[in-house]
Amino acid sequence: MTEVDHSNLTNRAIAWWEIVSIVTSCLIAEWVIFAFAGRSKLIGAAPVVLALAFMIFSHRQRGESLKEIGFRFDNLVAALGWVLLLTVVVVVLIVVTGWVLKKGSFSFAVPRPRFLLIIFWALFQQYALQGFINRRAQLVFGKGIKSILLVGIVFGLLHLPNPLLTVLTLVGGVLWAAIYQRQPNLFALAVSHTIVSITLALTLAQDVFYNLRVGFKYFG
Amino acid sequence: MFGLTSCRLAACSTGAAIMPRMKLAHALIVKSIAETLLVAGLAVGFYVSAFPPTYHGWGEITPDGVAGWAVNSADTFERLEVQLFIDDKFVAGAIANQSRPDVVAAGWAGDEWHGFKFSSFSVPQGAHTARIYVLHRSSDGNRQTLQLLGNPLDFAPDADGRQIRPLRF
Repeated sequence: MTEVDHSNLTNRAIAWWEIVSIVTSCLIAEWVIFAFAGRSKLIGAAPVVLALAFMIFSHRQRGESLKEIGFRFDNLVAALGWVLLLTVVVVVLIVVTGWVLKKGSFSFAVPRPRFLLIIFWALFQQYALQGFINRRAQLVFGKGIKSILLVGIVFGLLHLPNPLLTVLTLVGGVLWAAIYQRQPNLFALAVSHTIVSITLALTLAQDVFYNLRVGFKYFG
Repeated sequence: MFGLTSCRLAACSTGAAIMPRMKLAHALIVKSIAETLLVAGLAVGFYVSAFPPTYHGWGEITPDGVAGWAVNSADTFERLEVQLFIDDKFVAGAIANQSRPDVVAAGWAGDEWHGFKFSSFSVPQGAHTARIYVLHRSSDGNRQTLQLLGNPLDFAPDADGRQIRPLRF
């Protein structure tokens, strides 16, 4: 019979609670805010600010440095090595899928100025997903398949009810989580996330991914 | 930047590690309460915006139709738009702007022009239910909602179809 480590159990419980709390904030922003307050950016920012404030507080309480979280350059090249291979494969798959679906009459959408901001949005998403959720998942399950799968499931869940985007982000979340556990570098992941997002936006977003809409916004 | 305590990613069982966890638990509770209040506030705000609780009125069966009054207590001079539904089907719409001195005398309205009357409709023999709704526009006209005024009105036309009578009071 093994001895139960109550402090470890509590630590895991708190980590679980932190994951659920951040996911809840995201779901509130995606589903509740848009349903009740429409496109109000001020109200929409409330759960995001709450989540961000909590994540920063949690990092401070757990003594995590920016470097540990993944805001670092010392392993950028190594992380990019992993990430770029994956990114090239995904980009080729997206373009080929677009070619097949459009039966050869493939064309790129017109790039928009807001694409320049995607890198920041991608960095924020990767920070929340890997720098926080992944790290807390590791507190619950340790490094490995369980925590990686949890990150993927969370990322997919946050892209419901867009069916194909949910599947794509689940797979992407798993792959990025696996890379993060090997080389925790958020900049490299943000670059990959940005390239995939722009490729999707330019090729399949309108026809297959319903303009990448998620949450309540998906319905109109 | 964040390196203030001694408890790192690995689980630690020292007393120093318990305080951060307590603080985290407290922060999680506070965050949950804040989000609950936010969602509750949004839900109530949305409901009040879509279904203002300030609409009051009444409808009744008269020998030649359905009549009543409608008032917005937030603006007692506003003329409300009402709609008649019979057996859950839209029949007619009107602005409640007819004279009802009794409404202003009772203190519901700022003036007497809040009455309405629907009389030019025909229904087949048998029992029917009429409902009067007040129409409300919100979200810059993107949303319209209906609120029931008073109670559903059960009625039946006479044998010759010229008059209707209430089935219950």
